[in-house]
Amino acid sequence: MARGVRGRGLTRREFLITGLGAGAGLVLLGGCGGDTSEAEGEIQLNFATWGIDAELEAFQNIINQYEAENPDVSINLTHVPSDYYEQLDTRLAAGNAPDIVRMQYQQIGRYSSEGALVDLTPYLSEGDGDEFEPAFWQAVGYEDRVYGLPHHTDTFALFYNADYFEQLGVEVPQSLEECWSWEEFTNLARQIKEETNATFGFAMNWQESNPYRWMPFLYQRGGQFLNDDLSAPQINTPEGIDTIAWTQSWFEEDLVPPNTSVKSTEEIHALFANGTIGMMLNGDWYLPYLEDHMTNFEYGVTYMPCNIEKASDMGGNALAVSKDSNHPEVAADFIKFVVNEDNMRNFVTSATFIPVRTSLLEQELDYRIRPDAMEIFLEQARTIPEHMASVQTLPEFNQINQVMADELELAFVAGQDPRTTAQKIEEGTANALGN
Amino acid sequence: MSEKVMLMLKVSYNRQMSQKIKNAVIWVSVVVAALVMFFPIYWMFVTAVRPREEIFAPEVQLWPSEFVWSNFVEAWNTLPFTQWYINSFAIALIAVVITVFINLLAGYTFAKYDFPGRNVIFLLLLSTLMIPIQVYIVPEYLIVAQLGWVNTYWGVIFPRAAEAFGIFLVRQFMMSIPDELIEAARIDGASEFTIFRKVVLPLSGPVIAVLIIFTFMWRWNDFAWPIVVLQDQEAYTVPLGLNLMQGAYYTEWTYLMAMTLVSILPMLLIFIFFQRYFVQGIARTGLK
Amino acid sequence: MQRRPLQKGTGELRIRIRRWWQRHQRRLIPYLFITPNMIVFAAFMFIPILYAFYISFHDWSLIGTSQFIGLGNYFNMMQDDLFWQVLINTAIYTLGTVPTSMILGLGVAILLNRWIPARGILRSIFFMPVVISGVAVALVASWIFNDHYGIINNTLRQMGSDPIPWLSSPTWAMPSLIIATLWTRIGFCMVIYLAGLQSIPSSYYDAAQVDGASSWKQFRYITWPLLGPTTFFLLIINVIYSFHVFDLIYVMTGGGPGFSTTVIVQYIYQAAFQTGQMGYAAAMGVVLYFIILAFTAIQWRISRQGESIE
Repeated sequence: MARGVRGRGLTRREFLITGLGAGAGLVLLGGCGGDTSEAEGEIQLNFATWGIDAELEAFQNIINQYEAENPDVSINLTHVPSDYYEQLDTRLAAGNAPDIVRMQYQQIGRYSSEGALVDLTPYLSEGDGDEFEPAFWQAVGYEDRVYGLPHHTDTFALFYNADYFEQLGVEVPQSLEECWSWEEFTNLARQIKEETNATFGFAMNWQESNPYRWMPFLYQRGGQFLNDDLSAPQINTPEGIDTIAWTQSWFEEDLVPPNTSVKSTEEIHALFANGTIGMMLNGDWYLPYLEDHMTNFEYGVTYMPCNIEKASDMGGNALAVSKDSNHPEVAADFIKFVVNEDNMRNFVTSATFIPVRTSLLEQELDYRIRPDAMEIFLEQARTIPEHMASVQTLPEFNQINQVMADELELAFVAGQDPRTTAQKIEEGTANALGN
Repeated sequence: MSEKVMLMLKVSYNRQMSQKIKNAVIWVSVVVAALVMFFPIYWMFVTAVRPREEIFAPEVQLWPSEFVWSNFVEAWNTLPFTQWYINSFAIALIAVVITVFINLLAGYTFAKYDFPGRNVIFLLLLSTLMIPIQVYIVPEYLIVAQLGWVNTYWGVIFPRAAEAFGIFLVRQFMMSIPDELIEAARIDGASEFTIFRKVVLPLSGPVIAVLIIFTFMWRWNDFAWPIVVLQDQEAYTVPLGLNLMQGAYYTEWTYLMAMTLVSILPMLLIFIFFQRYFVQGIARTGLK
Repeated sequence: MQRRPLQKGTGELRIRIRRWWQRHQRRLIPYLFITPNMIVFAAFMFIPILYAFYISFHDWSLIGTSQFIGLGNYFNMMQDDLFWQVLINTAIYTLGTVPTSMILGLGVAILLNRWIPARGILRSIFFMPVVISGVAVALVASWIFNDHYGIINNTLRQMGSDPIPWLSSPTWAMPSLIIATLWTRIGFCMVIYLAGLQSIPSSYYDAAQVDGASSWKQFRYITWPLLGPTTFFLLIINVIYSFHVFDLIYVMTGGGPGFSTTVIVQYIYQAAFQTGQMGYAAAMGVVLYFIILAFTAIQWRISRQGESIE
């Protein structure tokens, strides 16, 4: 009997532990795990980015410098290696997004129109915008307010395997004016495929759902994706259909590896580095990779092919402040610091990007890797069509991009004919634009 | 007469022989199948120890031309893997303790108590298995963020502490424990919790083993949830680290395979050591 | 003097509480025992799931404000050709993975249930892939199936035959995914079936041997029926796993080529996080839930093995 009573007493305590323990634990832990960030009046900012080592190091250097100048601020750099925007959206929905976010110009429209970014206009002075290249300044604006600061750009050019070119006796264009026509380019691709060790002629980097990189070809052909006031699609035109047909022919003729369509996860730079493909249309930020990995071949860089017009991809990123920041003025001050002339120069030269400050574009830049190739990219960057830039920075662009991914994929791997493809992109785009 | 016996012996001898041949054939085919199953892991290993410039070679080299063991060291040192292993072990071990305890208690209750709402609650728990996490990950994150658990171990451990699958296993197992044992203890005046602790737990060795292995495996391999909760690299677990390694722009296959191999070692060792106990444990859960 | 009545009072209270507890404990204890679990489930499953259900009647992009649209998402789903296409893909993937992995798993389990040399090692080898995380499996599989430098195509080329466009042709992409899945599923089915086999009393087989029943007959009339609950369990769990496949496809094919490997969860992910249609994603999640629930219920009826789970 006595045992039973003691047993029961014990039990009750244990009940408390098991039954309420979990609940109390939740609350307690919640309390402990909460705000550890703002100790001793220090301002803590989180800065989210993705990138390769060179970029991360460059960012960290700038942060160290800023922290030295502002001892009360500490900035935590977070590297988000994959699904960056998915995670950003989740955090915005929960109201705890990082203070400072890096984003592609293509994304600014969407986030600023949904009220996810801080209006930076009050923190800027008159004329700040004039120091940036107009296309990029325009890209960070929405309804006459500024929601980000342009940080850098990058663009596409043509990488080629110099050993194969030597074997074929190919002379590369010496200036932008001499760029290869579409026909010359595909002929060359055929030649590479047939006469060298390469299995395929070339590949284009638009995998992992980056189909918007197809757009420059449309502009080369003299077309445009939307009409002049950006209110309706203009893709279902002879130019549009022609461009789809041409890019589709790469796959039909096996000039490009079949697994390099827009939804694939193939890494074409690896194929280029090991000689499987003789050329690749790709961005400047792959130079560090090739320096390390292309050990069996020499490579060079020349201009994008062209048609009626010249055009290339608009890459690069801006920096913005999220609505969840408790210290928007400090965050804004920091991003102004990151994009100042010195820091922008250091960043682009160490991570092989193209600056977006007019003053820097007029200077000789001391690139650490392949300055000769960077010359070509800098020149090519001037061909980024302004109309394309305004299309890609629309708030609805994310949806348009998905439509392009779906339909171009069907054209490239399932043989959907160019006319239908153009028509379906047109429908999807009109739908996304809400008309 | 003796001829007949001789014949019978011969037949049985032949039968034994053919049985032996049959067994040998079966054994060989199982071994071949096992080799096929093992090949991807072997290939991971070969890719990991191969000189980096060889991995895209078009020739098939089943054996690396030289063993570059330093690949493992270099890969380990490129990123804070030590920290990530500490995090992964801490999360998996704490989660095992909590999950095993509360799942045992709940599974036992569903098996041995009759109370209003039992079946409804049980089916409700099981039906959570049918909804993919992508559907509710945002509201779930919202709650965890409210609790201030972003970037903490608790943020990963608590939301997954109650595993419907685990409760199901325990319940199946507990149903095989005779009611008489429990009733006898009750008549002796033991309290309900004492019965659970002193009578039921000592009999639950096999299912505890299974729960430990499964829980450890789930937490060790979790990806979709931790990647949302753990935002600082400092707080990452091993799978998030591998994902980081595969990285933004290009994959370093040698290093990636080296670290993938290292990441599965703890689980492999656990299974190899507990293999027999594990199978028996599941056998006793009544999934007969 | 003043303390005594108070003490007496608390003493009475304690006794009353104890009496109350003695009277009600049989009824309350089960609820107390499941409380820790229920707190976790409520906070991190039920509430988020109910919230997702609520969101399924809204148009919400995650980052902006949401708007009530009633059954709009559900109507859109009915008219969305792609939704039906991904359901079919999911069904193909499920049919390709579930029966195959169960049959092979059962075969291996039967062979490894008898005493054969190196049995422990063999079992471990078959089970090994099960413990590997989904992302790691996908990475290894993409490495092996790669069109250009994967070991399979390199071998084919060296033997002089044509390489197979594993991940780049709509015909082969799904089979590649199914093969990669089987690699991890067979071991899982094997272990569960092994456990099932071990709980069949050997006396049944002894009796059958006395009657001279062939091995096939023994399988057909003893093993298979007695494995019923195991088969039922594996079928349900495997179907859920197959319907929920995501990591593997996301890493290996990204849903392509075309839509040939886009499955339901991937479409949900895309709607939720890439095209800003969280409400639509939630609505698809609700429909997926009912599909799996219906499948489970039907299976429950058919197998009539409900009792063993009940």
